[in-house]
Amino acid sequence: MSNVTPAAADPSATSVASNDSGPLLTPALLQRLERLELVSRKIFRGRMKGERISRRKGQSVEFADFRNYVPGDDLRLIDWNLYARLDQLFLKLFQEEEDLHFYALIDTSASMNFGTPNKLRVAKQLAAALGYVGLCRGDRVSVQALGPAGRSAPVVRSRAALWKLLKYLDGLDAAPNQDVDANVSLHDGVKDFVLRGTSTGVVVLITDLMDKAGYESALRMLIGRQMDVFVLHVLSQEELDPPLRGDRRLIDVEDGDAAEITVNQHVIDRYQETLKAFLHQARQYCAQRSVMHVLVPTDTPIETVMTKYLRSRGVVR
Amino acid sequence: MSLIPALTGIWPWVALVAVPVGIVLLYFLKLRREPVEVPSTYLWSRTIEDLHVNSLLQRLRNSILLFLQLLAVLLAAFALFRPGVREDTSSLGRLVFLLDTSASMQAPAADSATPDPTTRFDRAKKLISERINTMHDDETAMLITFSDRAEVMQAFTSDRSRLRDALGRCEVTNRPTDILGALRAADGLANPRRTSEIADIGDVQVADALPAELLLYSDGGFQSVTEFKLGNLKPVYHAIGAPQTKNLAIASFSANRDLQDPTKIEAFATVVNSGDEPATAEASLFLEGRLVDAASVSLDPGDQSGLSFAVEAADAVRMRFSLDIKDDLSLDNTAYAALTPSGLVSVLVVTEGNRPLELGLTTEKANRIAVCEFVAPEFLETEAFAKRAAAGDDDLIIFDRCRPKKLPATNTFTIGELPSDEWEWTSPPGSLTLIDIDRTHPILRYLEMYSLLIFSGRGMDGPEGTSTLIESDLGAALAIAPRGGYRDLVLGFELVSQNDEGETQANTNWYAERSWPVFLLNVLRHLAGAASSSAAPSYQPGETVPVRLESAVRTVSLVRTGEEDTDTPLDEITVAEGGSVDVVQTSSPGNYQLVRKTTGESAAGVGNVVDRFAINLFDVQESRLSTKPDVELGYETVAAVDAGIQTRREYWRPLLLLALVVLLVEWWLYTRRLS
Repeated sequence: MSNVTPAAADPSATSVASNDSGPLLTPALLQRLERLELVSRKIFRGRMKGERISRRKGQSVEFADFRNYVPGDDLRLIDWNLYARLDQLFLKLFQEEEDLHFYALIDTSASMNFGTPNKLRVAKQLAAALGYVGLCRGDRVSVQALGPAGRSAPVVRSRAALWKLLKYLDGLDAAPNQDVDANVSLHDGVKDFVLRGTSTGVVVLITDLMDKAGYESALRMLIGRQMDVFVLHVLSQEELDPPLRGDRRLIDVEDGDAAEITVNQHVIDRYQETLKAFLHQARQYCAQRSVMHVLVPTDTPIETVMTKYLRSRGVVR
Repeated sequence: MSLIPALTGIWPWVALVAVPVGIVLLYFLKLRREPVEVPSTYLWSRTIEDLHVNSLLQRLRNSILLFLQLLAVLLAAFALFRPGVREDTSSLGRLVFLLDTSASMQAPAADSATPDPTTRFDRAKKLISERINTMHDDETAMLITFSDRAEVMQAFTSDRSRLRDALGRCEVTNRPTDILGALRAADGLANPRRTSEIADIGDVQVADALPAELLLYSDGGFQSVTEFKLGNLKPVYHAIGAPQTKNLAIASFSANRDLQDPTKIEAFATVVNSGDEPATAEASLFLEGRLVDAASVSLDPGDQSGLSFAVEAADAVRMRFSLDIKDDLSLDNTAYAALTPSGLVSVLVVTEGNRPLELGLTTEKANRIAVCEFVAPEFLETEAFAKRAAAGDDDLIIFDRCRPKKLPATNTFTIGELPSDEWEWTSPPGSLTLIDIDRTHPILRYLEMYSLLIFSGRGMDGPEGTSTLIESDLGAALAIAPRGGYRDLVLGFELVSQNDEGETQANTNWYAERSWPVFLLNVLRHLAGAASSSAAPSYQPGETVPVRLESAVRTVSLVRTGEEDTDTPLDEITVAEGGSVDVVQTSSPGNYQLVRKTTGESAAGVGNVVDRFAINLFDVQESRLSTKPDVELGYETVAAVDAGIQTRREYWRPLLLLALVVLLVEWWLYTRRLS
């Protein structure tokens, strides 16, 4: 398909390509990200001591409950004041503070390798930024690609391990064009993630939702795992407002499916309507299932996305 | 709806059919859709999914450019077939177009009130052209024009382009109308004659009668044709022109020099109002381009008026009379007249010595009209005389008591001798007493001769055709006889005679009479030709003018003087043997003169002009312009048909415009799709 031109082909593509090769996160951005915190709308059990209130009872300054003493309990937890008053032994329980499990799932299908700026790069930036926010708060952060590549993703906990995260992200590549085997569908990728992990936590799915099999099953699996799910819906400007006109043969980069179409204003209008309906449907589906859906156009700077978009939508604070 | 294919031959049509085929092939062979990679066809598929619901419409939408291109080509191809609607399709298969080219066809086709400059001739040509355009392939037609003569411009053909070419060659003339010749030309085909007499049993008809439609395009300004039978010809008369016209015409114009006083010229003109409304005009008389007199003419329809002018001009010879009016026919508003040059005639006198003759030929008046050369009788024997006699250089040769061996090619006057053996004396010499004088003859006009004394004379008799001018008791004393184109005048007595001693003595006292110089003057005027200086003849346009030149010239040039009073050389004419010239270039009215070709002198100088004549329409029938509602052809009255019903309404122009519009829409759609 050497004669195939990408739909995004335009004169500004070269300058954007140079931007694509830069570092994922700039020092200035890192500085701003340190002040942010990932928001979990649910309380999960952590694995280690952390800064997050856990469902476990443990040692902290936060009072949780009283319960009767049973032999074997730690005598240090007995509330002696109550014993003096009631002559019965009660244990005073406190909230445990544990770490939060944060997962960022990146869709690396061929469709993500598209647009100016590249959708996959934007997805990586988002994952890196959110991961860094989590690391700053001592959360357990795992940024991974959907599919086989996700199995080798590192799990990091401290800010110092940021390089591992970035290294992993740098090593991520989109699936080759029209390679059906290499392209992992959203459903398969999420299923693989769900089957591997047992822990719950916050999961951010960074994808374009462009899956012909549908995105619903994938989201259902995440919700079924009692996870706090966020969907960052990354779409390039070329998808939001296609620059196509004339007689064209559209080729799907994932499965090579071709659609012959004569693009005129009428068709463009129809496309816009379809896209609008698609976004509305996704948003509605997510809203009904307490999944936060955030549309991220790729031409929006990552700083703006992190500090305004995600903040206003309660992903970070 | 009928079709007249504009293309001839097979190859243009093959090329035409190849165009839409080529377009379809190009459409399918054209560069296919440009492939473009998109992240997913998911949304696009859903977009066009809706469109697929009306996929037929979409397919049409996709190939709309192809359809538009094909439509444009088909429209253009259809236009090439020249579709049109004709009301009248009945035809005998053969058409004879008779186109009137007479002078009246120069009148405007429309009423004088409407400012339409189209002439009747142009209108007729347009109608014929339209009819030619509507001809079917199986129709044949011929084109005949007629004025005072008929001309077959194109024989029967079904080739429309040849008919159109022939029509293009037709020109309106200044001639009067005579339709009979044209009818006879058309008749030859439709009504074939038998080879011989009717009673002949073996006679067979030479050809089948071919009925034809006789399409007459005229204003009807001709005499009713009676000596003609239409037979198989089906006449259709297209009346061209308007019934209401305005026209003042000069019906006649002539000028004469006063014989008594040659410096005076009398001119007479008749002006007719041949139109349908009263008209007033200023009539002007021009002499050599100078206005010399004018009069006002005011006439009711049908009236006519005579005008006379008397002007003094010794040398003027060309006159123009014009009516200053803007009417429907300008041709008859100007008339011309010429006076042949009162130039000198050349007279050769062969005499041994004759004082009375010399005196009589050298009077002041005679000198004004003649140049006389006196030679002795010995000159008759010379070669020079033989040449001179054969060439006819002299206008008159006077033989005094002598005769040539062979009479010269000119008029002669023989005194006291018989000019040739065809003459004979009828009596012996004796004293003559005059009995009768024919004073009606121009030579003896104004003469009083009864007091003459003639001592010796003889009666004579000439060849057939001789007329006696003076009868004496002994027979004819003066007789004139024609000889070919010349005339011989013979006087039966001598003026002076010689006695036996050789002395000269008078034979008559005529030389002492007043009548003698008058007689000689009459001879010079009428026999030598000096008298014809009074007026030149007038002919109608297109007429062949026969001219007999009295002077021995070999080549003359024809010069016309028209409305602008400027001379226009027309042609060089070689004079035939005997001095006769037929002038055929007489299509335009004007004063014509035949000029002797000389070197080193002005060609149009008066001295070199050998003859003059004028060309004028002078045809009241032609000047009567109102279009006749019907014409009579061979006892059959043919009413005019409405000229408009046979017109064919053609649609190729709107079709081509539509094709252009379709092409523009196609281009607009194409550019819109590309943008």
